[in-house]
Amino acid sequence: MLKFKINDQEVEALPEWTVLEAAREKGIHIPTLCYHEAVGPSGACRLCVVEVVEGNWSKVVISCMYPVKEGITVFTDSARVKNVRRWILEMLLAECPASKEIQTLAAEYGIKNSRFSIKNPEEQCMLCGLCVRVCREVVGVSAITTVGRGVHKVIGTPFRKPSEACVACGSCVTVCPTGAMQTRLDAVRGPVDAHKS
Amino acid sequence: MNHQNNIGVFMCKCDRRIESTVDLAALERLVLEDTAVAYTEIIPFACTAPGLARLKETVREKGINRIVVAGCEARILLGKIEKEMIKEGFFEGQVDMVNLRDHVATVHTLSPEEMAQKGAKLIRAAVAGLDTLELTPQEKISFNGPVMILGGGIATYAAAQELLRREIDCIIAVQTDEYEDEIRMLHEHYPGERHYYERLRKIMEEVSDSPFVRRITVGELSGLKGRTGQYTVTFSNEDNDGPPRTYDVGAIIACLDGQMLNQGSNFGHDGKTVICHTETEEMIWVHGVPSGKIVFWINDYESGTPEFAYLSARCSWSMARYMAEKRRDVDITMFYNQQMAVPLSAEERRVSRQLKIRWLPFDGALRPTVQAGFLTYCDPQDHLEYELPWDKLVLSPKRSLGVEVTRVARVLGLECEEGKFLEVKQEKVRPEQVGREPMYLAGSARYPCDLHEALRQGRRAATQTAEIVEKDKRGELFAPRMVCVVDPSLCIGCGLCKEICHCGGITPVEGLGGGIPRTVDPMVCTGGGTCAAACPYHALILQNNTSLQREARVAALAKQLSESEVMGFGCNWGGLAAADNAGVKGLKYDPRLYLLRVGCIGQLDPAVMARAFLEGANGLILIGCPPEDCHHSFGLDHTWSRVTMIKKLLGFSGFDRRRIALAHVDLNHPEQYIASVESFIQQINALGPIEKTESNREKLAGIYATVNNARVRWVVGATLRRPWEETYPGDQRNALAFDKDFQGILKEELTKSRLKNILSADKRYFELKELMDTLKGEKDTMIHSLQEMVNEGMISRVHRNGVAHYIMRA
Repeated sequence: MLKFKINDQEVEALPEWTVLEAAREKGIHIPTLCYHEAVGPSGACRLCVVEVVEGNWSKVVISCMYPVKEGITVFTDSARVKNVRRWILEMLLAECPASKEIQTLAAEYGIKNSRFSIKNPEEQCMLCGLCVRVCREVVGVSAITTVGRGVHKVIGTPFRKPSEACVACGSCVTVCPTGAMQTRLDAVRGPVDAHKS
Repeated sequence: MNHQNNIGVFMCKCDRRIESTVDLAALERLVLEDTAVAYTEIIPFACTAPGLARLKETVREKGINRIVVAGCEARILLGKIEKEMIKEGFFEGQVDMVNLRDHVATVHTLSPEEMAQKGAKLIRAAVAGLDTLELTPQEKISFNGPVMILGGGIATYAAAQELLRREIDCIIAVQTDEYEDEIRMLHEHYPGERHYYERLRKIMEEVSDSPFVRRITVGELSGLKGRTGQYTVTFSNEDNDGPPRTYDVGAIIACLDGQMLNQGSNFGHDGKTVICHTETEEMIWVHGVPSGKIVFWINDYESGTPEFAYLSARCSWSMARYMAEKRRDVDITMFYNQQMAVPLSAEERRVSRQLKIRWLPFDGALRPTVQAGFLTYCDPQDHLEYELPWDKLVLSPKRSLGVEVTRVARVLGLECEEGKFLEVKQEKVRPEQVGREPMYLAGSARYPCDLHEALRQGRRAATQTAEIVEKDKRGELFAPRMVCVVDPSLCIGCGLCKEICHCGGITPVEGLGGGIPRTVDPMVCTGGGTCAAACPYHALILQNNTSLQREARVAALAKQLSESEVMGFGCNWGGLAAADNAGVKGLKYDPRLYLLRVGCIGQLDPAVMARAFLEGANGLILIGCPPEDCHHSFGLDHTWSRVTMIKKLLGFSGFDRRRIALAHVDLNHPEQYIASVESFIQQINALGPIEKTESNREKLAGIYATVNNARVRWVVGATLRRPWEETYPGDQRNALAFDKDFQGILKEELTKSRLKNILSADKRYFELKELMDTLKGEKDTMIHSLQEMVNEGMISRVHRNGVAHYIMRA
């Protein structure tokens, strides 16, 4: 067992655990969006940032992928962490302004508007790719993927046609942290009788 | 309670999401009141690395062998937890999950204590289900014998090549010993593929030189039996006098080529000047390339199969190119409907120009007419009618399955409909089944395709087969845990399950006909379970997920429900998913629904439904997928039949028929789910509870006995239908006539079941009048039923003072 501190609380953890897992085991709350227990972490949304103090150094890292280490001190809610999270939320608010979940979370951090330009006021998806990972790792079919690159990147199916591989299980809708997948599902699973034998 | 079971219950806090609204300490207390529960623990998370480590440690320390995790969606996380627990020696089915978060914590506005009470009832139901679980040993699948590639299609060689490269033994069943002959005849199925012959020859040489491939020439395929890993294939002897030849093989790949027919005379086909693709190829073989004006009319739009225009155009192009390259004095026109896109690459367009092959579109609004030496057509640009002169006119072929292929497909158990191809659409409910077909099929009988695609399909089928065979070689191939099995001691071989089964997993042990027990191919069975729910004799069981488990769950839940509460079943793909999503969205709704998880609503045996009422439920709602969207094909429709049966039985016994209802919910519309649930709860509360009187209990016991009655189960099983189906068996002309007959049977059997229950509960002499007072039934029905029971030898009748008395036989 490794020993370290989270917010001045002594914590013990196995080397293969991440900071986020160790914190949650102690009931310490760290906000997350793209993290889901059913799949491996991907570090897409960056919201789970924490400040890690090691010796005289301090750095801001994402807790969902940062392995625990002997002797470090982790701050989950320091001024620096809060500041970074506010920035992230402001960017997310510009990315997916229509998402109720993001709005609520941003409001918790006192953010109502974003200083960044809003491309699409109807957008709900933040492109974290959690749906893609669940489809691959939990359902095992890889029906959805990210389509396009850069600013054109969206979540969709190959050739933007309803996917043959989709089993219409709805796992992507259930795990979606922003509620975006609900409106996209019909484009993925296709018309109702496509799944009938 | 089974004392060998050591059931542990783990309740998650889930980062405040459960902890903040549910009184977990109270929940733990309530759960511990259940004597079947050996251990409980409240943990922060069951699903994270620390949580799983804690779970495993506890399981090891306390000797727990079944666990309930009360946390979140089983749909998403059960797999992960199960996978970890398997490392501790668990099997699938030994872990169950209750969605405390999305079915309780986030969707209701109740006090923490009330939340705990609701959670406890659901957990106890899950515990009862696990307590009833009878684990079956894990079945290993092994391949006894080589892979057989049959059907005689050209994809045979590609499949064999793939297998030999992976060093897997295979037998190829072909029509002729000489592969040159096969190439000679290939144009009958794949015309215009001349450029491919060299490559094909190489493949064939590699196959014939390989020590892994055994080549047999056989007669007609006459039989196939067995299951994955152990098939027996029978061919008639090619001399037609010897005994049939049989082969024991492990896997089968079917390579079947479709047939090409001539266009009818209405396109002017005469076999001499107006010919089709195969005849053109034949002409080139025999006479060489002709001179003069050759017109390729790609007439697929006109003959009603525009989907094959691309294929015909490619084939025509290939032949036209060959002709133009061989002979300079040939004038070729490709004549096509302007709706069709010219399927040439830029390079091919250049070649086409160089060879002076003309691509001439026509306006499809006017159908071109074949006249002697000319074709009339309308130009799409200037809308003038023109005439196109021709010496030879080549038409597209008509594509079909062919008689022989249809016959072979039937023997192989492939579904084939008149006028359709064998395109296999399979239920895709387990990831390992996606992209796999029960019978690996390749060739143009599957769907019209060119030679390249047929060979590709052959390779693909071989790759998939090889993956499984290699898995078996490594000793890692096991049958899925939750599939149907037949208890041969109970099975009478009625064959009902095979008719109902849509995944094609059920086969007779040997041959056709009655009296032969059935068996299930576990690698094909999807675990839908509607077949098991239909078995008249309870001989077909969905192992590790049995009806008895579901009965135990409803019984445990029904006993705990208060008068205003109702219970429901939600299927993984519809109702349950919608309920999960309602929780994710944080929608609030009436807390008086207790939802149980089920894989497909079709798994629900009518006995489970009847048991719910017997144990005290006042309302039962079954929430499945939207109509026509059942993931297990017909599970939903079958449930419809079962629900209407329960409604009838409730009605006959004086209960309200509305106490059971089927609902259709799309997983993506949780608000639909809430509307269904709230409307049902209101309905049940308007009806009031079923009074817990001795007489009501007797009636409900009668219903329960009736749905377990083999005759009733047979009739409902044989008539399981989709609501709009119009053909009815026997002399029932329509839905109403059928329903009236069915109702008659139900009434009769209900009366008999109740009489049996009464007579066996109290082993004394009953007068007819006394029985009539208890049952409040019609006199004629009752006398008829009693007479039948006497005839069956179930009860005895004696006369005392001229009055008939009835008693149960010892």
